[in-house]
Amino acid sequence: MKTRCYLSTLLLLSLLGCQRDYEAPVPYTFADNPGAGQFTASVRQRMEGVYAVTAGNSQFGEQVAVKWTYGMNGPDTTHYLSVFTGTDVGYFNFEVVKADTMTLTGYWRKLVNTETGRARLSVKTTRNGQVRPYRGQLTEGDTLVLDGAFSEKTAEPSQSLRLAYRRPLNTEPFAILAHRGGGRTSDLLPTSENSLDMIKLASRLGATGIEIDVRYTKDGVPILYHDNTLNLRLIQKNGLKGSIENYTYQQLTTLVRLINGERIPTLEEALETVVSKTPLSFVWLDTKYIGPMDKMQVLQQKFRQRAAQLGRTLQIVIGLPTQNAINSYKALADKSNTPILCELDTAITRSLNAKIWAPRWTLGPQTNQVLAMKAEGRTVFVWTLDEPRFIDEFINQGQFNGILSNYSPAVAYYHYTRQP
Amino acid sequence: MNFWGRTFFWMILTLLTGLVATAQTDSTVSKRGPYTLVITAGGGLSYYATHLGVPPPLEQLRVSRFGMPATLRVMWHPDHRLRIGLETGWVPMYSYRGVAAGKSARVNVDAIPILLVFSMPLAWLSGTERSLARRLSISGGTGAYLVQSRLRYAGTVAESQTSLGWMVAGAYTQPIGRYVRVAAELKWLNATTTEDGVVTAQLQLVWRAFSW
Repeated sequence: MKTRCYLSTLLLLSLLGCQRDYEAPVPYTFADNPGAGQFTASVRQRMEGVYAVTAGNSQFGEQVAVKWTYGMNGPDTTHYLSVFTGTDVGYFNFEVVKADTMTLTGYWRKLVNTETGRARLSVKTTRNGQVRPYRGQLTEGDTLVLDGAFSEKTAEPSQSLRLAYRRPLNTEPFAILAHRGGGRTSDLLPTSENSLDMIKLASRLGATGIEIDVRYTKDGVPILYHDNTLNLRLIQKNGLKGSIENYTYQQLTTLVRLINGERIPTLEEALETVVSKTPLSFVWLDTKYIGPMDKMQVLQQKFRQRAAQLGRTLQIVIGLPTQNAINSYKALADKSNTPILCELDTAITRSLNAKIWAPRWTLGPQTNQVLAMKAEGRTVFVWTLDEPRFIDEFINQGQFNGILSNYSPAVAYYHYTRQP
Repeated sequence: MNFWGRTFFWMILTLLTGLVATAQTDSTVSKRGPYTLVITAGGGLSYYATHLGVPPPLEQLRVSRFGMPATLRVMWHPDHRLRIGLETGWVPMYSYRGVAAGKSARVNVDAIPILLVFSMPLAWLSGTERSLARRLSISGGTGAYLVQSRLRYAGTVAESQTSLGWMVAGAYTQPIGRYVRVAAELKWLNATTTEDGVVTAQLQLVWRAFSW
């Protein structure tokens, strides 16, 4: 009898131990209505800043950075409010609820775990402890307050959340570069890495630019995909195995879906999305393949031109992470109008006359080299830095021009709250 | 040394270590043995028992979870209950076919397991040769699966991926001669990395090839 009990317990533990419990579905459905309602440009500008968390600080820390962003769809622009917290790489995403109120609804998430929930905020002012609705004007003595509630998971928000304006955001130029188009699939974001939806989401996660991974299909179509094989980390189960470069674009686009159901996008679709649907100002094309670079160069030049025609400030650079990529770059017949970023050492960066040097963060601050490269007029980014303590340290040292990270909300928080 | 080379090396090393350890074990029996090398070949029916993914755009979809696997196992039966050996074979996982964008598509997934297998009869010295417990055995193993996919859609792509995995099995063996037996085995084969799992029912021919 005892043996049976032990065996049953062991079997139960094995079954429970094998269960997956690692999900963070977004608990709020965005309507994505165009416009900003009562949140006019001046109101949005006034709202942006560093806020003290006076209610909800046990969950979200003592202060947050509040910033507006937007997405475009043809002639329509939809505005979103992002709040970046200094706790567990947390962020809020809000949208305008009704055009005639100053209320926002959305959700929050912590990227280092699966914690998420709903939230709502209303814009108010306080004076001498009295809270009043915000009418678009602030008089002396008024403090802007974002007042609302949050909840766990899909519950109706009921726990108090209050943010009180402290000071403007840090306006020093700094590139917040989001890895894999905006974030990793493994961080349980609502969209898959290197997808069009992820690119559209990137600015709401704090990014001012993105890094995307370029590979070629068997028939020579540049696509976005990180790994060199089809695998269950990145795609939905379909039985197909092996190197992505052995499949044609038609085969991939028809039969392969990324983890959240998206198609694998072409580089052309990705750059079109950046130009026509996002406010992003930087695209880093990470060369993940070995082979000719001419098709990537053609697209780079095409979309740099498109952006310029639209009056957009958009840098599109080809990243050179390996000697093979450098050889492919050197083999290009015409290298003019082809900005590059070199991930190798300073000597190679100088020999290629790359305007951007991007060393890996594990090499440390490299202060002397960074200052020397900047003195030569080069931009210096560091990759791929995800550890909040080091993000804070690197930003406060003020040497680098930007950070590439899987945790763009953390980079945004430390950058915008920095006091120069 | 590549992956397969390393896998083979470690399997052989484990086997030899087991042999040496067994040889050095103290025993109350003055003479050890007999030792037997047993070769088992089997075939039967398989059913793909885990989640099966099919691309959403496919229309007129036909899915098959059934297949006819074949396995080959070489086991060393020492003079005690635990046996050790290697197993390989060919195991169909699943296949599907359909139509996408006006063209027919077909995908076949199968695997070649290369497993280090441990096996044990439920009874050893107790009972008689005819007792059921001495004819029933359980097996478990771990190793690698070479999972292969074959796509036929706007061309053919045959690719493969190595997956870690394991198997468990239970078998009944019926003696039909001095050197030959037949067995019925129910087995679960699981490729962990690729999340493929197959249950098989096999009829096996068991040949006691060498004894010493």
